Amino acid sequence: MNDAPRDSEAESSQTPQSDEVLMVAFSRGQADAFGALFARYKQPLFGFFRRRVADPAQAEELTQETFIAILRAAARYQPSALFRTYLYAVGFKILRAYRRKAAFRATFLGEQPLGGEPAIDNAIETQALMRQAVGRLERLDREVLLLREFEQLSYAEIAELLQLPLNTIRSRLFRARLALHDLLATPASHPAARNFAQSKERL
Amino acid sequence: MNTAAHPIAPEEVMAFLDGELAPAEAQAVSVHLDQCAECADLAERFRATSESLAQWTVSAVPSSLEESVLEQAASAAAGRMPAKPRSYFDPSLWGWKQWALGGGGALAAIVMLMVVSSAIMSRPVRQVEMAQQVAPSPEAEGYVRTRQPNDQPAVAKSELAAASAGVAQFDSLQAAKSLPESRAGGGGGGAPASAPAAPAPMIARTVSLTIIVKDFSAARASLDSILARHRGYAAQLTAATAENAPRSLQASLRIPAPELAAALVELKALGRVQNESQSGEEVTQQHADLVARLQNSRETEERLRAILAQRTGRIEDILQVEQEIARVRGEIEEMESEQQTLEHRVDFATVDLQLTEEYKASLSSPSASFSNRIQNAFIAGLRNAGETILGIVLFLEEDGPVLLIWLAILGLPVFLLVRRYRRVRTKF
Repeated sequence: MNDAPRDSEAESSQTPQSDEVLMVAFSRGQADAFGALFARYKQPLFGFFRRRVADPAQAEELTQETFIAILRAAARYQPSALFRTYLYAVGFKILRAYRRKAAFRATFLGEQPLGGEPAIDNAIETQALMRQAVGRLERLDREVLLLREFEQLSYAEIAELLQLPLNTIRSRLFRARLALHDLLATPASHPAARNFAQSKERL
Repeated sequence: MNTAAHPIAPEEVMAFLDGELAPAEAQAVSVHLDQCAECADLAERFRATSESLAQWTVSAVPSSLEESVLEQAASAAAGRMPAKPRSYFDPSLWGWKQWALGGGGALAAIVMLMVVSSAIMSRPVRQVEMAQQVAPSPEAEGYVRTRQPNDQPAVAKSELAAASAGVAQFDSLQAAKSLPESRAGGGGGGAPASAPAAPAPMIARTVSLTIIVKDFSAARASLDSILARHRGYAAQLTAATAENAPRSLQASLRIPAPELAAALVELKALGRVQNESQSGEEVTQQHADLVARLQNSRETEERLRAILAQRTGRIEDILQVEQEIARVRGEIEEMESEQQTLEHRVDFATVDLQLTEEYKASLSSPSASFSNRIQNAFIAGLRNAGETILGIVLFLEEDGPVLLIWLAILGLPVFLLVRRYRRVRTKF
């Protein structure tokens, strides 16, 4: 089941209304408008969390939380940016809060993190290797890469989301892609890549 | 892959593949990719990477999620906002702002608590002092009444009482003095007829007044006239008339007890009464004791004199009797002076007066010239700066080691936790 945006594009071509129009309609009390939006974005958003959080149940919860946050803020929604950017911005905030919370608990309450990388629920070896390789990327590089490849955000949208200059996003993405290509070419643990992964830089 | 050989940067190849280039640039990159094998290889690498990433698929959204979100959406559309799932007070969700706010708030609360508690701790002491000043002792009751200016009969009555007390005590004094004469004739024995049967209370009064006056010189003059009118005097008086500061006067006045009430009314009229306290010390018992002892000593003296007059004997005995007479005489004089002091204290009330001028700064009399003041201020500023620096140095010398110890005790765990947090943080 791929959540590539082709699905949502196909869906949005069936329905002439844009995301922003739907959101405004919902904020004015049209209940089924949100249903349409949810249908468009449930899979991409779930994928967004699923690729970044180890525990599937946690990913589900965060997805739900994001949609509920959108619901709660619907009355204040201003169609100034693309709904998609808005949705991922909210999701990203919730993800950060979750990471902070989890790190806090691990530090002060002694809870062990559930392994850094998303659990492998599929036994295909190439996929497992690929995920391992992604996990070895530097944190910020990985984030930029995932946002570009899976959420299909533009450079400008990523820059806004991560609060970084556009050029930084471009060079990070470039670096991440080349590093990932090298990691996939030599799947054995690469010292340079390991250094990247252990870098203390945080989002 | 050096950029000199290529008209386009490698990052632009990537941007071209991502559709992030303007049409003209995209055209240029496209043309270059057709010609340059190296760049085409790079593009191929990007495509391959994207393709391998696309293999990372994710399971379908669980239906439970779908139901729950759509349910919330329906209730939100119906006007009921879903409840906030998490509390703001979960510290694990706090960013630095919340921590700073919370920490600052806690610090402020602690400081407030310390200030308030210290204020409360210091208050009861003052209240006790005030209670002691205000509480009217039974003897001072008459004066408490005189403090009500409209209560004229009360004033008169208390004056009358004080006057009669003075007369009664004067009577007893006279009686004591006349005693030796009567004894001289009668020759001892028999109860002293003139002992005070029902003595009026004898009270030594002390009043303390702090008055703020507008016109200091006028107040000073009327103070003298009040003293003259009431036949009082100043036992001690200090006036301070410093320049560029409020003038003040400190005096201990003695005012005849019957005049006290009237004199106090006039004194209070001098200005605004800032502080007033009155006290009365009951000395009746002390006085009665003194009178009785005095009488005994006088009787002894009389008897010794009689012995000396009637008997003739050895010279040693006579000398001994005379010595004894001298000793008793000394005692009598001591007691008499004590009695006088006591009676004086009763006859003359003590008024501790503090007069302070309401200070008005005036421009007309600058104490120093402008340049002098500038220079003085400059030197004072330098000295203050020096003092401050010295204070800091002294503080560091004195408390620095202790601070370091506390820093180590408190800072080390914090440092370790923060380090651990940072390390754990990268795993999520």
